[in-house]
Amino acid sequence: MEQKIAEIIAEICGAGAEEIEPELQLFEEGLLDSFAAIQLVLALEAAFGVSLDMAGLPRERIATPAAIAELIRERRE
Amino acid sequence: MTPYSGLLFFYLLALLLLPAVALGLLGKPLKIYGLIFSVLMLVLVFGEGGQLPTLTAFYLWEAALFLAYRRWRKKLPLWLMVPLASLPLVLVKAGEVWPVFALFRLLGISYMTFRAVEALINLHDGAIKNLSLFQWSYFLLFFPSASSGPIDRCQRFLSDLERRLTPQEYIGLLRQGIWKLIGGAFSAIVPGGIIWQYWLAPLPESGFLPTLSYLYGYTLFLFFNFAGSSSMAIGTGYLLGIRVPENFSQPFLSADMKELWARWHISLSTWLRDYVYTRFVMDSLKKKRFENQRTASYLGYILTMMTMGIWHGLSPHYLLYGAYHSALMCLNEALDLHWKPFKRWKKQGFGQAACVFVTFHLFAFGLLIFSGRGW
Repeated sequence: MEQKIAEIIAEICGAGAEEIEPELQLFEEGLLDSFAAIQLVLALEAAFGVSLDMAGLPRERIATPAAIAELIRERRE
Repeated sequence: MTPYSGLLFFYLLALLLLPAVALGLLGKPLKIYGLIFSVLMLVLVFGEGGQLPTLTAFYLWEAALFLAYRRWRKKLPLWLMVPLASLPLVLVKAGEVWPVFALFRLLGISYMTFRAVEALINLHDGAIKNLSLFQWSYFLLFFPSASSGPIDRCQRFLSDLERRLTPQEYIGLLRQGIWKLIGGAFSAIVPGGIIWQYWLAPLPESGFLPTLSYLYGYTLFLFFNFAGSSSMAIGTGYLLGIRVPENFSQPFLSADMKELWARWHISLSTWLRDYVYTRFVMDSLKKKRFENQRTASYLGYILTMMTMGIWHGLSPHYLLYGAYHSALMCLNEALDLHWKPFKRWKKQGFGQAACVFVTFHLFAFGLLIFSGRGW
């Protein structure tokens, strides 16, 4: 799952998947803005078949690849 | 009586906060007294201004909508409920421009309407499964931030409301809350008051140089005054066991307009981001409404910033303020996308300093529009 998440982030941010470390701060590092965050959530929903409720989602839940993985696991349960 | 202003207000605030502090120090639940405190403060503030009947009518209207939507969520469409919940605000704002609609005025209606609308949206989304009338009433009427924000979120507010604090945890909140109250009062009264009295008030009403001076003075005044009142609201909230979110984070260090809106009136910009921009863009992307996805983002910024302008009022200068920031946000987006040096410049050195300088002046000019001052 972590590899897939890194690939999705890399595609949206225009970075290499190997650069996407688990604790990388996606907003603070300027990799995600409001629009890219929406693209990311839509891509994650499509890839993992979960609903992430973007409007009610605090930013810290998608602030790092590790946080995203935790969120996906939580929503799958 | 104006909230967070005047000795009488602070005396009453301190007096009515004492039972909350006692309960907190004893480790007792604060929520019931918190609602009593809010109602008492609203009665004192609104009663003196003659707005108590209006506040009561507003509460009953919003409560009826909330109860109806909670009961018949599947039958009542959200697109109908949100405009109905916003109707009192629309009437107040319309009344400020067209006397025929000037049926009533209500302090804090802009902020309380946000709360009412958010509760409906959260119920619609299923983000909140159970919301009692008590919880909803406390959220709607929460006094500390009713008059000038910050705008708290329903889910976050409820998590604090239902959390039982230990005396040690409460002492931590009490300490922070008192500092925020003192710091906020200082900011609003000392620099805010001095700038108003000795800089803005004596300025002539028109002319290029007085207007230029007003641009700087008003920007600093609004920052000290607004950040100060926000800090006092946050501090009061802490004393009631509610961690009201921060509203300012060194906004004048921002290197572009997107960053500025993430640092200035944060609770308003994040509310609009989540409930206007994100919803519009997400819906547009899902429905493939535009050939170019970025079109949704540009239109989302225009929709968000115009909503922000209209939320302040329907007067031409507020609409112009919204249009001005719509244009700036679109320009910011275009520069981010199509002019590579911009991203690099913003990050360090002279380029960053230049971006901070320009951003401050663009924002200050926006506040000049916002002020409605004649040029």
